[in-house]
Amino acid sequence: MSKELKNITGAVMGKIHHGEIKMRSRLYYILGSVLAMSGLAASIIVALFFVSLTKFMLRAHGPMGSFRLEQLISSFPWWAPIFAIFSLVIGLWLLRKHEFAYKRQPWMIIVGFVVTILIVGLIIDMAGLDEIWLRHGPMKGFMRSYFD
Amino acid sequence: MYIERILCNMSCMINNEKFTDEEIVEKVRSVDQEFYVVIMERYQDKLLRYAANITRDEDMAVDVLQESFIKAFISLKSFDVKKKFSSWIYRIVHNEAMNSVKKYSKEIPLPDNVDFRSDEDLEDDFKQKETAAKVSKCLGKIPLLYSESLALYFIEEKSYEEISDILQIPMGTVAIRINRAKILMRNICQKN
Repeated sequence: MSKELKNITGAVMGKIHHGEIKMRSRLYYILGSVLAMSGLAASIIVALFFVSLTKFMLRAHGPMGSFRLEQLISSFPWWAPIFAIFSLVIGLWLLRKHEFAYKRQPWMIIVGFVVTILIVGLIIDMAGLDEIWLRHGPMKGFMRSYFD
Repeated sequence: MYIERILCNMSCMINNEKFTDEEIVEKVRSVDQEFYVVIMERYQDKLLRYAANITRDEDMAVDVLQESFIKAFISLKSFDVKKKFSSWIYRIVHNEAMNSVKKYSKEIPLPDNVDFRSDEDLEDDFKQKETAAKVSKCLGKIPLLYSESLALYFIEEKSYEEISDILQIPMGTVAIRINRAKILMRNICQKN
């Protein structure tokens, strides 16, 4: 068995010397974190607009909510949730693939993200920040066409 | 060049005994990759034993260990030197070994008639050092879910916290698994 162990050390060091294996740059892990965080941010924005629109429809149209919901679905910017999901999945995949040895329960990450999204969405809505973003944010065009 | 490397390896081993694992990792990352030999020398026996306990196959354990050392080297920059290196490397071996086990499934099913309830103080019966030898013999007869925690506790002499980090389960679950493994040992191994 000790001969096999020597072989392991030799084989691994040989691969390192020949450049067959290299340490992955820190950039990899940073990219994973950035993608996961931008996915989270995109999710927050989507949730924010969704909450805002729903509230507006219920206030303005009352019992016609179902009709308005169809309108909302047909005019909703679907790129935003797709981007959010894509970033989250790739970011978390990168983090899990290359930071695989730390104790992080996947379900806790998901629950944490969902709870964060809901809380931040509600806080921003209650603070009135959404009103400002509606006038100046990236979804201004969509909102204007909806209101018109 | 080759002789220089060998000489370096020898001097690295002698001079680096006083350094912690985390300090050696820092040296591998920022000074010289040759220091990785020190890490491998420190851990290969323990990790091979651990891998063999999971895979229950020595050849497979050797493959698992080599692949783990390669993966650990590639991911070395993701290691947080403020944390414990030993838990990190054990976790990598655990992942590799579990993948191999799943690939060539050899899992032993849990017997139907095992009653995990026990009022006895099992600690009296299972003193860590005295039991290590018994545990080694018995591990192969217990389902992996329980035998792994038991091996880490009795053979690798890891604390509950370290086992929790390696297996990525809460400490309460570690305690439950070790307790159940002890009961299984009594029911299965001591009868045979």
